[in-house]
Amino acid sequence: MNGEQLLNRLTRLSEVETIKDVKSLTAALFPGTHCPLMGAAMAVRGIKDAMLMIIGTEECSYYTKHMTIYSEEFGGLYGRCVSVVLDDHDITFGCNKKLEDAFKEMIEEYSPKAVYLVSTCVVEIIGDDIDAIADIFTEQYQIPVMPVHTEHFKCENHLPGLERTITASLKLMQSCPCDGSVNILGQRMGNFKDTELYHLLKESNVSIGLQMPCGCEIEEIKRGAAAKVNIVVNMIGLPLAKKMQQKFGIPYVFFNKYTSPKRVKKAYENLFECLELPLNLQIEKLYQKAEEKRKEAEEKLKGITYIYGNTPLDCFEVNEFMVSLKMIPQVIQTSAIYETDGEYIENILKEENPYMTKSANIAPLQYVYDVLKPNLYLGHEYAARLRKKGIAIVHIDKVNSKLGFEVTECLIEELLCAAQEAKSLREENIK
Amino acid sequence: MSLTRYLPLPSDRMGIIWNLLNIKEGVVLEYGPAGTTHFSMSLYGELGVDAPERLFTTHIGEEDIVMGDTTRLEKALLEIDEAYSPKVIFVVASSITSIIGTDLKGICNYMQKRVNAHLIPVEQGGFRGDYSVGIQFVQSLLAEEFPKRRETEPKTYNLLGVSLGSYRMRSDIVEIQDLLEKAFGWKRKTCFCYDTSVQQIEDSGNAKINIVLRPEAVEAAKIMKKNCDIPWVLGTPYGYLGTLLWIEKIANIIKEEPDPEFLMQIKEKERNSSMYQMNVRMLKRDVPKVSLVGEYHVIEGLASFFQKIGLTVANKICLHSLKAIPDADKTILYLSEEKEKKKILETIHNQLVFADDISIEMCSKDNIFFRISAPVVRGAEVANHLPIAGVRGTDMILEVVEQYFQILR
Repeated sequence: MNGEQLLNRLTRLSEVETIKDVKSLTAALFPGTHCPLMGAAMAVRGIKDAMLMIIGTEECSYYTKHMTIYSEEFGGLYGRCVSVVLDDHDITFGCNKKLEDAFKEMIEEYSPKAVYLVSTCVVEIIGDDIDAIADIFTEQYQIPVMPVHTEHFKCENHLPGLERTITASLKLMQSCPCDGSVNILGQRMGNFKDTELYHLLKESNVSIGLQMPCGCEIEEIKRGAAAKVNIVVNMIGLPLAKKMQQKFGIPYVFFNKYTSPKRVKKAYENLFECLELPLNLQIEKLYQKAEEKRKEAEEKLKGITYIYGNTPLDCFEVNEFMVSLKMIPQVIQTSAIYETDGEYIENILKEENPYMTKSANIAPLQYVYDVLKPNLYLGHEYAARLRKKGIAIVHIDKVNSKLGFEVTECLIEELLCAAQEAKSLREENIK
Repeated sequence: MSLTRYLPLPSDRMGIIWNLLNIKEGVVLEYGPAGTTHFSMSLYGELGVDAPERLFTTHIGEEDIVMGDTTRLEKALLEIDEAYSPKVIFVVASSITSIIGTDLKGICNYMQKRVNAHLIPVEQGGFRGDYSVGIQFVQSLLAEEFPKRRETEPKTYNLLGVSLGSYRMRSDIVEIQDLLEKAFGWKRKTCFCYDTSVQQIEDSGNAKINIVLRPEAVEAAKIMKKNCDIPWVLGTPYGYLGTLLWIEKIANIIKEEPDPEFLMQIKEKERNSSMYQMNVRMLKRDVPKVSLVGEYHVIEGLASFFQKIGLTVANKICLHSLKAIPDADKTILYLSEEKEKKKILETIHNQLVFADDISIEMCSKDNIFFRISAPVVRGAEVANHLPIAGVRGTDMILEVVEQYFQILR
């Protein structure tokens, strides 16, 4: 495979308007993106007393159950992930009868408080009306049953599965008096209590309401409308926040895992304004500290080249930040371009114009490394393989449980560490 | 089958892929949603299937489904052919492309002119049965497509019916190789489908005999008999007597006498194991019973062994369907409903239970357990020297029997 030829097929950032303009390096992908079914399972994992019922093929059910077996949150082998496996008869004649029987069995054995009924590709292809079935079950068993559609042929990766599961939970919420709390919407990994944002809110005596999907219970979701403000910490929480605003009049503040100190500061300001509270005094100090770190890092990171893969950070925001550190993005991999990305893309383009490609296709990337010879790779890859090519991986999963200026600091530390490693690797390889 | 609480039975498609991935110089290209491929990697990793640059997906979009556009697949075939130069590309359907009726055979047919690799369409999208049916399909497919009789290589055999989805498969292969080396001085040629390549499968037509480890591969053996005139023998050696009989069966076909000294060693073990029948008779209170849950050939082999040493075989439950088992023993049950199996297993007490981890989980804790089947959900399979089959396998099984006898009165 010729790395030059692969790169010639790609578009540059300046040529990209929507995700459709971003091309895959190859038509044959490996390993390919995760599917929304996995996203739905990740979301239900965090909702402690909810049941996940998958309707699909053996494969869909097997791999999802396989993932949950080792999850304490799911309850292990006999945990709260079950499935209804469809065969050729169900595909031909519909799966209603089988689903009714299985649902009854599940209710009798598990007595769940709520069920997320997850349909997969085959169900969507044959067109069984899972929404209607969910409504019937809700009425019949007097428990909330939320349909979640996870067909992968309509979306790029697993994030819509998370988003749809969270959004489907609106059905659980009831109007209730405001208790002044804030909900955290979209935190999909890590513990919110470990974050800087949590500590600053606590210092300002703000109580935390619903944390979704990471670490909540059905009763907490039901009381979700008691919040004063919804804090959306990831795009996956945005549709629910918008619906809650529409239905219950709860405003939301977007507080993503920003890396730019200015943007983090602005998010804090928006949040405290929305909460009608004075800005926590710590914020200015933290901002100054993060800015200093950023300036120090710029000297060391200037000119460092990298390929961006898939990280917990907002793709274009973090790239904009790294470009502001005079780093050089050679290839950016992404699976989505949001409306809000326009500003970041514009700022990146003022300095750089990297190649763009879709994420989760690391097999042909091996040949691209040989052409571009980047110093760093951000995302999941085989570290040993990259080391041989003199490329250091930036370990960035730590930011999963961070929000606020600590994200900036964490990223800078990891970038500096990886840049140093890359330098050593190059020296070793020369020897 | 209604509610599935645990892991469902892997489909034919899953069995097909985890077998095909073991063939070097071959590439598996899945025509379907990328998520399935990505999701499947954890299972292949667990089975020890390592297939660098041998597994790809095209992904599939809504427009491909609605318009029947197969451009992605065509492009992927050209790319793989050019970039990796595989001898074979197995083009595997997905549940979606099976339902919408994508003509993989037709596509492979017209694309064959544009690529050097041999294109083989695999149209099973997961609806034709379970992994046992998948194993049968792969074995027959390979037997039909590749082996060529060039010249007979003396003292060589092929192993048919090998699947890494079977628990302790690698260890069993090592044991079987060892038995055949010691008994006849014969060497393994090709293993369908483990540690092999397209070339090795092509050359398998030169072997003297096919040893068919499980009934799903009988059809493949018949194909190779017809095409390459290779005789075959069915069976995996379980128990000392089972091993002796297995060696004898092979000796009759290859017309060679096994090493007498080696046979004596096994016979000695067989004689010593007859004491268990006496131990059983001496029990005042309990009747020693064993329940077996696993793959058909393992259950069949172990049931015979346990009966021979005087244990009552209370249950024989097969974990996969019997569709691909010719003339299946009617006393071995396949229960398609998880709850039926659960019901039986919950009633078992004070028995020796040889099963998979999930079945073990369903049983009462007053039994003595030994794992003989996948799925493995407690810990992991690491060793390659702990077989269930053959002499070493029987030695280990008897240690568990000894443990069981300690709780009997």
